[in-house]
Amino acid sequence: MKKLFLALLFTHALIYSFTLSAQHKPHYVNMTEVGGLFGRVVYDIPWSVPLSQQLENRLSLTIQTFNGVQLKPRLAVGLTTGLDWYNTALLTPIAAGVRYDLTRSKKDVALIGTLDAGYGFNWLHVNNTGYDTQGGMMLSPGIGLKFGFKSGSAMLLSLSYKRQEAKVTKPLGWGEIEKWEDRVYNRMALRFGFMF
Amino acid sequence: MKKILLLSLFSVSLLQWSCTDQCTETRKYKRYTSVSVSLADIRQGVRTESARDLINPGKIYTKGNYLFINELKEGLHVVDNSNPSAPKIISFIKIPGNGDMAVRGNILYADSYSDLVALDISNPLTIKEVGRENDVFTTGQFEGAWWGVNTLTGVINDQKMEIVTETVKTNCEGGGNGSWWGGVAFSAFDSRALQSSAPTSGSTANSQGQAGSMARFALYSNYLYTVGQNEMQLFDIRTPDKPRRSTKINVGRGIETIFPYKDKLFIGSTTGMFIYDNSNPERPEQLSVYQHAMSCDPVVVTDNRAYVTLRSGTTCNRGLNQLDVIDITDLRSPRLLKSYPMQNPHGLGVDFPNLFLCEGTHGLKSLNVANDFDVKQLQHLTGMDAYDVIPLSSKSLLMIGKDGFYQFDTSDPSNLRQLSKIPVKRVDI
Repeated sequence: MKKLFLALLFTHALIYSFTLSAQHKPHYVNMTEVGGLFGRVVYDIPWSVPLSQQLENRLSLTIQTFNGVQLKPRLAVGLTTGLDWYNTALLTPIAAGVRYDLTRSKKDVALIGTLDAGYGFNWLHVNNTGYDTQGGMMLSPGIGLKFGFKSGSAMLLSLSYKRQEAKVTKPLGWGEIEKWEDRVYNRMALRFGFMF
Repeated sequence: MKKILLLSLFSVSLLQWSCTDQCTETRKYKRYTSVSVSLADIRQGVRTESARDLINPGKIYTKGNYLFINELKEGLHVVDNSNPSAPKIISFIKIPGNGDMAVRGNILYADSYSDLVALDISNPLTIKEVGRENDVFTTGQFEGAWWGVNTLTGVINDQKMEIVTETVKTNCEGGGNGSWWGGVAFSAFDSRALQSSAPTSGSTANSQGQAGSMARFALYSNYLYTVGQNEMQLFDIRTPDKPRRSTKINVGRGIETIFPYKDKLFIGSTTGMFIYDNSNPERPEQLSVYQHAMSCDPVVVTDNRAYVTLRSGTTCNRGLNQLDVIDITDLRSPRLLKSYPMQNPHGLGVDFPNLFLCEGTHGLKSLNVANDFDVKQLQHLTGMDAYDVIPLSSKSLLMIGKDGFYQFDTSDPSNLRQLSKIPVKRVDI
């Protein structure tokens, strides 16, 4: 909760500082995207002698919405919230987000840079008996293409990297005293969405 | 412009190379390695040593102004508790393979692997061995590590317990259906699961001490009752310093505790509670069995009520964590009145209408059990580990946990006041 508060505070401070120097008239902006988190995992096969490893591919559904202020013609800041369905964790990231047009062109297509940093919460996650899943820090830089419409809305296609931490404490087996899993999800997020 | 474009494309694509989930599972567990100890060494091993710190405390026992705190497999700490606000460890009795004790008069009975030892404790600074009955217990268990005796070779086959930390790379799926380690489930017994009861007022001759109900030793009349894995072994102690092997009674499987109350014996096992009539102390007779789910199950009794806790966890592996209130007005057919959900109950002690319940790492609870159907929680102390309690008639409470030995003033059961603490000097757990 403290982390969420800090993230909000940071966003507000950012908005405030930019508003002071703005020439352009700030307006509300929303970017809503849906896509997949692509990745893989390499793990030790339990009890294998000699130790051997196995590779598996991973794909998780992600939806995300950015609500913010278009402070300058090229810069928008706001709050990014979403849902990430990892195989055994449903996390709700709440993050401070920045969207910046990297190309100055007046053409319909623009390249944008995105950055979201925040915390993934476990609010919607349901644990199996004996398990306790905790969320963790989230960081996601990326780039995207903005295809503008005449109406001022735009279609988005983005590619970003996402790092999400989590921790799971597990039920104890015979003779065990403590058991937990530290997770870092490193994923490539490919998303499609709209901006208005 | 091109530069920014290229740079950002480059950096994002570079990050994609590392798109591999990194998950590690860390588990701390007890590892057992075999060791052999010779019976001859054990029988020479009993002596009094200078006071030492608590390292791995087990059961507690109180007698008069003295407290005995078991150091698992090592011996007993002798504590002068004449001032409960400032208890003082005065000596250590080294007894190899010790886990249980009972005191009557000036004689302390303790187990030493396969033997029963009688010690004269009239001077707690120089405690002497006065009697010994050889080869009475054949097997036993400390912290899940079993030992067995081989009388032919004169060797105890024991296991040494170590705590090991292990880290493996996992597939990030723990918490889903395919967990690697969670499925291993078989039952063992936890000698550290210690329970207690209120004092049974000293109706018997010679002043004797108070134990927890998880104790495997109980004194009644002229007999010392000890429970093993399957059976109850009686010792005739008419000559206090020369305990003599007496009747042996087969009880059942998975016996954990013996709790004497008036002329009855309540025996806790992993499957239920056995009630024995003890009006003939030499030949206890089974009256009834109260069955429950397979679980760790400390029992305490007051008047016509029995309180049983069921606990899940490392050694019991069932999902139940609850307190059962049982009507034992008719000892031949005990009846469950109500169950209350708990977090991870270990030992408990009753001083009617108050019940003190240890919740392991979740701390200590003070409950009011005046109404069987509406047990109220008066206080929940957290930030400490609670395993075992002994409520004393002097409105104080003795509690042992992994982090220390505590004493509380219980005159106000909704506001327990800590009198003192002897901390445990331990590296791990």
